[in-house]
Amino acid sequence: MTQDKQAARERTARLKKLREEHQESIERTRTHLKAQQEIRRAITAAMRGGATTVPEIADASDLPADQVLWHVTAMKKYDLVVETGRSGDYYCYALPEGQL
Amino acid sequence: MPEQDDIRIGVYVCHCGGNISDTVNCERVAESLRGLPNVVVARTDMSMCSDAGQSLIEEDIREQGVNRVVVGACAPALHERTFRGTVARAGLNPYLYHHVGLREQDSWVHHGTPGKATEKAIRLMHAGVAKAQLLEPLDTIRLDAEQHALVIGGGVAGLRAAWDIARRGIRVTLIEQSPFLGGRMAQLEILFPTGEDARQALHGLIQQVQAHPLITLLTGATLTGVRGYVGDFQVEITQQPRGVSEDFAHFEAAAAACPVEVPDEFNYGLTTRKAIYRPYSDAVPNAPAIDWANCTRCGACQSADGAGIDLENTPNLHTLKVGAVVVATGFRPYEPRQGEFGYGQFPEVVTLAQMIRLLALNEDGQQLTWHGREVNTIALIHCVGSRETPGVQEPHEDGRVNDYCSRVCCTATLQLTNELRERFPEVNLFDLYEDIRTYGRGHEDIYEQASAGGVRFMRFHGDERPEVLAAPTGEESPLLVRIKDYLTWGTELDVPADLVVLATGMLPNPVDDIVDLLKIAQGNDRFLLEVHPKLRPVETAVTGVVLAGTAQGPMNIQEACAAASAAAAKVAVLLGRGVVSLEPFVARVNPDLCSGSGECVAVCAYEDAIALEPISVNGHSAHKAVVSPANCVGCGVCVSACPNHAIDVQGWTLKQYEAMVEAIVADLPLLEVAQ
Amino acid sequence: MSDYDLKVDALVVGGGIAGMQSALDLADQGYRVALVEKEASIGGKMIMLSKVFPTLDCCSCITTPKMSAVAHHDNITLLTTCEVQAFTGNVQGGYTVEVQQNPRYVDTDACTGCRQCEYACPVDLTSTFDLGMGATRAIRVPFSTAVPQKAIIDIEHCLLCGKCEKVCSVEAIDFTQQPYTFTIETNAVVLATGFRLTPTDAKHEYGGGKILNVIDALSMERLLAPTGPYGHILRPSDGKEPESIAYVQCAGSRDQTLGVEYCSRVCCMYAVKQAMLLSGALPLADITIYYMDIRTFGKGYEQFYQNAKAMGIEFVRGKVAQITEDEGHNPLVRVELTDEGRIVERAHDLIVLSVGMLPGNNLEPIYGVQPGRDGFAAIPAPNLFPAETARPGIFVTGTASGPMDIVDSIVLAGAAAAQAAAYLETSHSQTDVIPTAVPEVAHA
Repeated sequence: MTQDKQAARERTARLKKLREEHQESIERTRTHLKAQQEIRRAITAAMRGGATTVPEIADASDLPADQVLWHVTAMKKYDLVVETGRSGDYYCYALPEGQL
Repeated sequence: MPEQDDIRIGVYVCHCGGNISDTVNCERVAESLRGLPNVVVARTDMSMCSDAGQSLIEEDIREQGVNRVVVGACAPALHERTFRGTVARAGLNPYLYHHVGLREQDSWVHHGTPGKATEKAIRLMHAGVAKAQLLEPLDTIRLDAEQHALVIGGGVAGLRAAWDIARRGIRVTLIEQSPFLGGRMAQLEILFPTGEDARQALHGLIQQVQAHPLITLLTGATLTGVRGYVGDFQVEITQQPRGVSEDFAHFEAAAAACPVEVPDEFNYGLTTRKAIYRPYSDAVPNAPAIDWANCTRCGACQSADGAGIDLENTPNLHTLKVGAVVVATGFRPYEPRQGEFGYGQFPEVVTLAQMIRLLALNEDGQQLTWHGREVNTIALIHCVGSRETPGVQEPHEDGRVNDYCSRVCCTATLQLTNELRERFPEVNLFDLYEDIRTYGRGHEDIYEQASAGGVRFMRFHGDERPEVLAAPTGEESPLLVRIKDYLTWGTELDVPADLVVLATGMLPNPVDDIVDLLKIAQGNDRFLLEVHPKLRPVETAVTGVVLAGTAQGPMNIQEACAAASAAAAKVAVLLGRGVVSLEPFVARVNPDLCSGSGECVAVCAYEDAIALEPISVNGHSAHKAVVSPANCVGCGVCVSACPNHAIDVQGWTLKQYEAMVEAIVADLPLLEVAQ
Repeated sequence: MSDYDLKVDALVVGGGIAGMQSALDLADQGYRVALVEKEASIGGKMIMLSKVFPTLDCCSCITTPKMSAVAHHDNITLLTTCEVQAFTGNVQGGYTVEVQQNPRYVDTDACTGCRQCEYACPVDLTSTFDLGMGATRAIRVPFSTAVPQKAIIDIEHCLLCGKCEKVCSVEAIDFTQQPYTFTIETNAVVLATGFRLTPTDAKHEYGGGKILNVIDALSMERLLAPTGPYGHILRPSDGKEPESIAYVQCAGSRDQTLGVEYCSRVCCMYAVKQAMLLSGALPLADITIYYMDIRTFGKGYEQFYQNAKAMGIEFVRGKVAQITEDEGHNPLVRVELTDEGRIVERAHDLIVLSVGMLPGNNLEPIYGVQPGRDGFAAIPAPNLFPAETARPGIFVTGTASGPMDIVDSIVLAGAAAAQAAAYLETSHSQTDVIPTAVPEVAHA
């Protein structure tokens, strides 16, 4: 067996073991991810519908405003949302061009 | 100089986490540099000083053969050294690096006009590249360092620093201007927060210092001359003789015989002493000393034991070579002005320092008395001589007010109230304060204890300080203190007082002569100034001179010892390996062009930096300018004065400047810049 | 990865500002130093701050040079994601230290810190660096100025989906990593394990952590920092830019109900500092500081405080008794104005609790260094020996020995280095110390 194949086998075995060891946390994370994706869908839908500030997006998506703020912040960090200006005491956000 | 073709310049424009890139278009700047001759790499990065940013440079040096590096980033003061280190790590001479400041000099001052800011950045970087073309490898100046430190000041900070340096294996000479060691700590009784005996703790330290073979102690000694530079300071110490031999055994008789009586500064004038004196019975060194300022040389003291006393006070001069200097010259308590809170006006007004001595003198007293009167009520007033506001308090002799907080007085005052409460349970105590600053570890407990012990607190606003007045006749107590008390919502109260204790702050000891000799700086608060309170908290701007203790600012004993140890660490870093490194930006003379005109020597403001020296040229004796690199600060005044262009500052040559200026004013093809 | 043994003159535990300064002061003298840090990056709490008092220097600019110097110093071995497990005296009079390296699941030799893995990861998590206000991912480079600038996987929140592996261009992802233990032999130890912040939910009178617009001062630091989560000062309930901000001093210190009777020393200054920075960032905002005593005692601090007053920041004496909120999440403060003798209720947009410092790690189980009454490391003779513990060769520095600010931490770190060096010189043979060449460039 070549070095690479040997290494690949070890890696697969190690990953399997890792997945077993972390079964619970993986499950938990999966649930968390699902919930996150749902929230993201609601937020992007609201933004496509014209909502730009956090309160507007919260209203349109029926989510608590603090949750919306956190998600918009997370999306902004990873370039999924951009800041476009201000409206009163709030900042405005939009989906980047090409994702509308 | 390498061939033009061999120069390979790497240019890096840092975004500085937005600090630069928010205003300056870094990509455009980098683009404008790519086409320049000898520029082989032009990059931008979010944060060049970060590890990843530095790795870009290292990789380019190793893999692209970059041999000159220019980085446009924040000010050189912050990261020039960092990038020299980066370049050195990759095997390049660290002086083949040039730093361009694009933040403080550009983005931060032009953030309203990004287009112009970008153009300025382009010009500055072009200038950097122009200089890079002319960079030469330079060597750090390495000097032998004398492994010997001078500590000025024999108080707790000086003693602590001396001991730490000596334990590290470096010789120490400690000079103390008075005949006795211990400084202000010897005048204390109990230390907070531990409650330990001050002199006992102090003497423990003194014993260690005396016992250490590497430490030489000189009392009655002051600094009277300094020349040289870090690693090689030639210092002159003038030492007044003690006048009394070490084993002198007739102090009481000699003191009794002495006709001169002066206020005893150990007790802040509460008692008197003679011109032959010893501040307390187990003072160190223990032999008494002659107070030369007040001694009349009458010789009465010699009647007891003439052999042990010598009234000839010819000073001794010591010349030492030391590598570093620790300034631990300490503080003096603020002395209130005549009439300030009644000080000097009423005999019942004393300072905190005096009160501590008073209690010590009254050690066995059952009843506290002052000038024969029973003391039943004491008022203590905080912030005397501290936290002063211009326009509210009168300026002092030098035109300044003491606008700083003296840090230790709140805790010291409350400790005093606790001691009073314990010794004289019947005495009424009123504490009048602005803010209670018992900030340290274990200090809040002292405040709690005072409060629980029935000390009555009253609070004034800083611009409405209490007044100390003579009480109307018929009152029990001679004084009253009038205060607008905000703990009772601004009620004006008259507090009776048999004794008023002023919690006075700290002033630095007057050390103008040392400041002048060492060329160190004082801050606006008159205390000695550190280079940077965070980056270099115990170092002065003069390499090799460090600060320890209250010479730098008000602090308590714990803080002074920490600072003294930190200063010792700095000395060990400088001297520990026997070599100091200095930057090579010093003047360099080309002897072939030098005509010995001496213009450079005439304009140089730095002692011993440059001199004309005889050199033999083809059998003839000629004078040429010779630079002492360690004393030269690289200011370049000599360069402007030399009629033959024979002198230049290494790393900052005239030709480099010319190239930079040309680049800055050049007609650059103006790129489209965003407005 | 293989086990390895490391022999050094001094071990520094903790890579915050105090640990870094001690390490540098020792390494600059020629001693071999190992610095062990349990997080993925050094920098401690200081790297999270915005600007520091009283000079208002940008905090990164002060901290990153030290972080970089530590990482590159010839005499310092930097060990991150490492925790000390056991600590025993050895026959030579030194100490044998058992250290566990926790896996990053990333090969640090290969990783370039490019963050492609982070962008590819599907799992968003609340960022502890941003005090929950921002996001991070299951694989990430901890923050933009992290040293080492390498990725790490939070395996507890990882799906093991392998997306990061696919995008990594240098094959740095390594799921085969496991925790492993190695031994360090050292003669001296400097403990610089830092402090903990009072939790925001400590006082039920202040909302027990449930009022969204009541945040702690470190959260405000993140908001003020250039690398903060929102890029602006926004309040967490709805992203509104606040017009009225209030500080509650002594929120967790000088408080018998919490069992924290001591003063945390830094909060007056940091509140004044933050208030000044907020005045700059939000020129129209009203800023109020509710206090008991203003303790601006250090060099330049009183002047700093007076400047803040002159800028219009309102200082109100009164210990806030209660914080509640209305339906719009606007917090309401109930306080006695002690100067006037009346109780008021005032509404603000955002409240910042000036929380105090609590002892960090208990140093007794591993190092035998007992806690004092306040929970911080006991220093037997604090006046003359402020960095020395009761155990020979073990020194403590920074906030592990009690609340203090950055200036005092740096000074005490220098003191600990001096004490450790003196100890090494006087207690241990010099032949063990091999002097290294003087570096080309002197370090700060």
